[in-house]
Amino acid sequence: MFKQSAWDVRDTTRVAAFAALIAVLGLPGALPVFGGAVPITLQTLGVMLAGTILGPWRGAAAVLTFEALVLVGLPLLSGGRGGAGVFVGPSAGYLIGWIFGVFVIGIIAFAGSGRPHWWRTAAACITGGILVVYAFGIPLQALVTRLPLAETALTSTVFLPGDVVKAVLATAITLTLWRAYPRAFSRRLTQRQPVRTDVAA
Amino acid sequence: MISVYRSGTSILHRLPPGLKLIGFIGLSLLIAATTTHLLEVVSASTFVMTGYALAGLGVRALASQVLSVRWVVIFMLVPQLLFLPALDAVTNTARVVLILALAALFTMTTRIPDLLDAAERAASPLRRVGIRPESVALLLALSITSIPVIAGFAATVRDAQRARGIPAHRVSFAVPLLIMSLKHADDLADAVSSRGIEQ
Repeated sequence: MFKQSAWDVRDTTRVAAFAALIAVLGLPGALPVFGGAVPITLQTLGVMLAGTILGPWRGAAAVLTFEALVLVGLPLLSGGRGGAGVFVGPSAGYLIGWIFGVFVIGIIAFAGSGRPHWWRTAAACITGGILVVYAFGIPLQALVTRLPLAETALTSTVFLPGDVVKAVLATAITLTLWRAYPRAFSRRLTQRQPVRTDVAA
Repeated sequence: MISVYRSGTSILHRLPPGLKLIGFIGLSLLIAATTTHLLEVVSASTFVMTGYALAGLGVRALASQVLSVRWVVIFMLVPQLLFLPALDAVTNTARVVLILALAALFTMTTRIPDLLDAAERAASPLRRVGIRPESVALLLALSITSIPVIAGFAATVRDAQRARGIPAHRVSFAVPLLIMSLKHADDLADAVSSRGIEQ
């Protein structure tokens, strides 16, 4: 039984590889701020790249897959955190924000046709990777830590420089990847090769 | 830390994986929410040790799990000691180590195929929105098996850059890592297709 959708095995394995990549980006020691309550991590970079490379749906699927593995109990979040506990901790809102953020990144980054443009990619990473993530993260953090919203937002500004750097990095990486390996961008690949050749023929 | 399954016939091995997962999540939440004082750390560690004993896994298995998270301990403990009183820092670190040890106990007593079957059953309501539960199980299995592979790629890229005397620069590190990971994904897709696994 074949599904009536554009999703094929290649998409499943790419989503799986990106979920694993986000996990690997959390393996080196994160840079903990305030005693590691909400650590700064390269994983946000992986989330941004999932959006700019895989697009909204596949990118969100990769982040969801990664978070499912965390929920199951694999200690894949930076600093070796994992399990259901992180979904009720101070950083829970940021994890939820990632799912919506990567979707927004994909929509903005893939809005045009053809090659990625630096300004659209950068706008995508800042809107989806920072604004959307903070919009979920800060209110939930305030709820969990019982710190008022304004103070929580103020303390969260310590992550802003790091996140801006990561948005710049994600843009540079996306554009370099386009020059080095355009096949990485699955949607643009299918646009250029609308008909799959049948090997068995 | 992603430890391999240790075969056994204990009650923990024989529990249905779905039930065990729910229990494990509940216990992690309980430890995460309540363990803030030394006494609670002691009782929680007694509980985790009892779990290891129940599963027929000795002190050595527990010690090796704790040893395997030594970098987590260092990265958590050092900054916490700077900002917090020593006792709080130790308690916070001990809580995380306990939850990780509990996670390892779950992983060591649950075969991944059983867990994926449970995930497949849990995903069966998704059929209504056009997502096949088998695809969800395949996706989770492929993600887990890709983690050590991609960690290996990262080490390869790092070593190659070090050998050529290139300082660790994030763009020049990430691009080869991404290309290797996506090529690995395409190889996996060929392997899955050639085995006739439908999507």
